[in-house]
Amino acid sequence: MATRTASVSVSWRRGAAGRRLSAWTVARHGLALLFAAFVLLPIVYMVLIALQPTSTAGTEVVPKIWHPETFREMWDTVSLGIYLRNSLIIATLAGVLSSVLALGAAYVVARFRFRFRNVFRISLLATHTVPGLLLLLPLFVMYAIVQQTVGVVIIGTYWGVVFTYMAFALPFSIWLLSVYITGLPVELEEQALVDGATRLEVVRWVTLPLALPGMVVTFVFAFLLSWNDVLFASVLTSPTTRTLGVGLRNYLSENYALPEWNQLMAASIVSAIPAVILFLIVQRYIVTGLASGSLKG
Amino acid sequence: MIGNRSETEATAAVVGLRVAAPRRGRGAALRAPFGLMVPSLALLTVVVFIPMAFALYISLTGLNQYTIGDWLHAPFVGVRHYVDGLAPNGPLTGSLLNSVKASLLFSLLTTAAITPIGVGAALLFNGPLRGRALLRAIMLLPYIIPTFVNAILWRLVFMNGSGVADQILAALHLGSRETFWLIGPNALWALVIADVWAAWPFVYLMALAALQTIPDELYDAATIDGAGRTRAFWNVTLPLIRPTLGLALVLSTINHFNNFTLPFVMFGTSPPEQVNVLPLNIYVNSFITFNFGLGAAMSVVALVVMLTPAVVYLRAARVGDTD
Repeated sequence: MATRTASVSVSWRRGAAGRRLSAWTVARHGLALLFAAFVLLPIVYMVLIALQPTSTAGTEVVPKIWHPETFREMWDTVSLGIYLRNSLIIATLAGVLSSVLALGAAYVVARFRFRFRNVFRISLLATHTVPGLLLLLPLFVMYAIVQQTVGVVIIGTYWGVVFTYMAFALPFSIWLLSVYITGLPVELEEQALVDGATRLEVVRWVTLPLALPGMVVTFVFAFLLSWNDVLFASVLTSPTTRTLGVGLRNYLSENYALPEWNQLMAASIVSAIPAVILFLIVQRYIVTGLASGSLKG
Repeated sequence: MIGNRSETEATAAVVGLRVAAPRRGRGAALRAPFGLMVPSLALLTVVVFIPMAFALYISLTGLNQYTIGDWLHAPFVGVRHYVDGLAPNGPLTGSLLNSVKASLLFSLLTTAAITPIGVGAALLFNGPLRGRALLRAIMLLPYIIPTFVNAILWRLVFMNGSGVADQILAALHLGSRETFWLIGPNALWALVIADVWAAWPFVYLMALAALQTIPDELYDAATIDGAGRTRAFWNVTLPLIRPTLGLALVLSTINHFNNFTLPFVMFGTSPPEQVNVLPLNIYVNSFITFNFGLGAAMSVVALVVMLTPAVVYLRAARVGDTD
């Protein structure tokens, strides 16, 4: 029995035989199907609810009447278009800007050794464990104080949340990009410096193009962080800057007893799609690309 | 920091990005262009470091919606909020203590449940399977779907009477169609089930990454030595994935403990006692009743409770060693 496991896994890698239908193989595929069902059934349920008219949605599982118009109607029930636009603007800004800022800091950490380098790197990792709620309240109070004393409106604007998300994305982005830059050859930078370029020009014209794949990952990370957040957005946005997560949750709480489940599910599906697409794009980088050889040793 | 995103970070960390030592010598002689770090440092200082210190200060004051206008003169109340929150017979009837218990129970239950599921799936999908690439991508779906979407979905599933959970229970004669999941003691199970479904792929991803670094030769050797499949798992696989798995479990506990979105969207701001987890309780005190001092005290307690696993995490990540 044990011999077979080992030989099957080896032959699989060789792409040869291993096609014998043993009980073990059948069991494995059966288990895989069970896992797929476990993951997919709730998602299918969501889709089925979205395709029903309001009258049956939430009580029936399989639609008696199909009602794909839900996906059109939902735009009028809540300001879904505005929420979607706000989420896109906020997440894109946070993703781009935090990746750019992180590149600068990551460059210094990767290429230079200085006194508080380790302290800085440890504090980057340490910030991951801080609960968001610990920061939200003082941030809210600080923003409110600034608003009162300086008169600059922060709460309810795009910039308030964008800056907040940027800061939360920075520790991971700096850390990842510094690892990435360390792996880049230093010769091109030195050549540029010899040719009279300033540090800033070197980072802009030499390092940035080479670090772009790493910046794609940090962009997606910051984008998803912003896209998924409900906590900070629920306090720091106003009706005009409200994001998808907050908008949908508010609709749910305002129509506590009888929300239009079909539209809510349709809107939820729409909210999930950008996140799924982006994650699947970088999944290559995160899982296969990085695990396969090049960085192993 | 927000929700379960730090899990993504850890995934990338384990999946192959090893922290490389910086080049010595070159560049070291030059003065570092610290100007490039200033924007990042400034932002982190304003949004993370100062608020952390400020939270500690607020927790010792009577800052609320009435004193916010003159916040500098908010009365200093010392540790009163901490005592009030934790004392079972205090004015809050131990609300804070109950929330700490609820949060610990919730995060430990979910972590305990997702570990075998995640490791099992990783073992399964690391081996030969038809359509493996597609199946692997599908497994990630619950983890990628935004938490607020996940919460809305499970809220519908657990609606009493009409929800599919009750329909299945009734069809299988396991329970009444009028079983309440979103109010009363069952709420804890509704929350755990929703979170288990959404979070298990994280353990799977980490375990899978660790499995892929184990060379086949080890299994061949184990087979030659006469070890069966079970023995090979306990004596070869498990010891080798243990460091990664340990990190995954610590992170998962922290992230479930800090999960705000799921209970917030599923239960709203007046949740059943069993799911009045710490993040919800903090939110209600801070932004519904505007008792900022108490809310800050509660979030400091949350930080302290999670400090133990956090220290374990930092030691496991071994940042100090890689210089």
